[in-house]
Amino acid sequence: MCSDINPAAEHMLMLPCCIKYNGPSPVSQYFKPKSTGIEVDGLNVKEANFRGRKLQGTTVSLPDGYSGFVIGRKTCVKRKASDTNGGMTAWQANAKFRNITIWNHDNLPSKEDAFLRAFHWFDVAKALHKPVTSDDMESASNLGAAETD
Amino acid sequence: MGSEGPMVYGCLYCPISYKKTLSTLEFADSKTLKEEKREELFESLKVDEKIGWAVDVIDPRVLSAKMLQKNKINLNEISHESAMGLVKRVLDIGYLLTEVYVDTVGDADKYRNKLTERFPSIKFVVAKKADSLYPVVSGASIVAKVTRDRALQNWNFDETAENMHRNFGSGYPGDPNTKDWLENHKHAVFGFPSLVRFSWGTCESYFKGGVQVLWEADESDDDDGCSRKTVKRQSKLSNLGFTGMKRKSEDIESSGKGRCKFFQSRKLEQLTLF
Repeated sequence: MCSDINPAAEHMLMLPCCIKYNGPSPVSQYFKPKSTGIEVDGLNVKEANFRGRKLQGTTVSLPDGYSGFVIGRKTCVKRKASDTNGGMTAWQANAKFRNITIWNHDNLPSKEDAFLRAFHWFDVAKALHKPVTSDDMESASNLGAAETD
Repeated sequence: MGSEGPMVYGCLYCPISYKKTLSTLEFADSKTLKEEKREELFESLKVDEKIGWAVDVIDPRVLSAKMLQKNKINLNEISHESAMGLVKRVLDIGYLLTEVYVDTVGDADKYRNKLTERFPSIKFVVAKKADSLYPVVSGASIVAKVTRDRALQNWNFDETAENMHRNFGSGYPGDPNTKDWLENHKHAVFGFPSLVRFSWGTCESYFKGGVQVLWEADESDDDDGCSRKTVKRQSKLSNLGFTGMKRKSEDIESSGKGRCKFFQSRKLEQLTLF
């Protein structure tokens, strides 16, 4: 990493639209989320308007041990032509976040939203990639033996 | 109907026997009256014991949201609902309505049928320019106009951007002050403050110089005057330099296409190169 990660990305928002713009904008002056008092699946629902649309969203923390990053193309180092031969592009983290507010258009946020469902992968990945101990092997083979008997 | 501020529907009610007196009260189409005269007439009808009135103030944020939601509700429908809400409110107070005069929004016959269906015991007269034909409607339009003007002047901005001011003019798009105000309160990314009804007019002329924003709700939706190409809601990952496996050019949103159901339903895509 050749540039500092911005750790102050407190207000990470994911909007249900594509804004064809990249760069700073006065979000806090124009985007004013309000708490609704509604709760869905234990998620506190917020409300905001963007370009005339009503958005409903919720702020979630990433699970312990995980961080979110905003990544962008690495621009600070001039690379030699030979470096790019592998078809690789260098990326850097521009911001790091622990919380994110996911905004839906029209729909209330819920645990069934694709973004939150993606979190299921964390548990699956953990189970899949956990190193297998010799104890695990033994109990697995014992099990196998018991079944074939 | 203005492009800024709330939309206000008003009603006036009085005993049938008061009809004649009503026509002597100088009520006229509120748009033809000077602001002072409107205020004066409003004050006088407020103290008239024979006259009752009610308004329905629809927040511009609610209007914009309804007109831009996935199942878009048009302005005619919103105004019909508002008018019927007012009729119901007066009935609920305990007044026995026998005749109701309504300024039409959309086709007058269809509107009358809709009203009659909802309130079979009431005789409805629905007409174009009813506010210049029937004094009771003129009175209602004064109530609505004065309420709207006041709501606009007392508007509290949600936005806290600098240099915002309240010289909105009348809030009607033909007003030069309103035009200036809109011009000065436009933001390339955020558009206009939420006081403005975003659904107003065609989006082409409306957002000159603004950043384009694509919504899923607008996909293949051609009937609102804006010609849109088929768009996907998420930023194009391929444009950002991500190259997934077997990506077709039209797959621009992370979809998990071609993967097992677990990933598909969570829109989890594998990125092999980046």
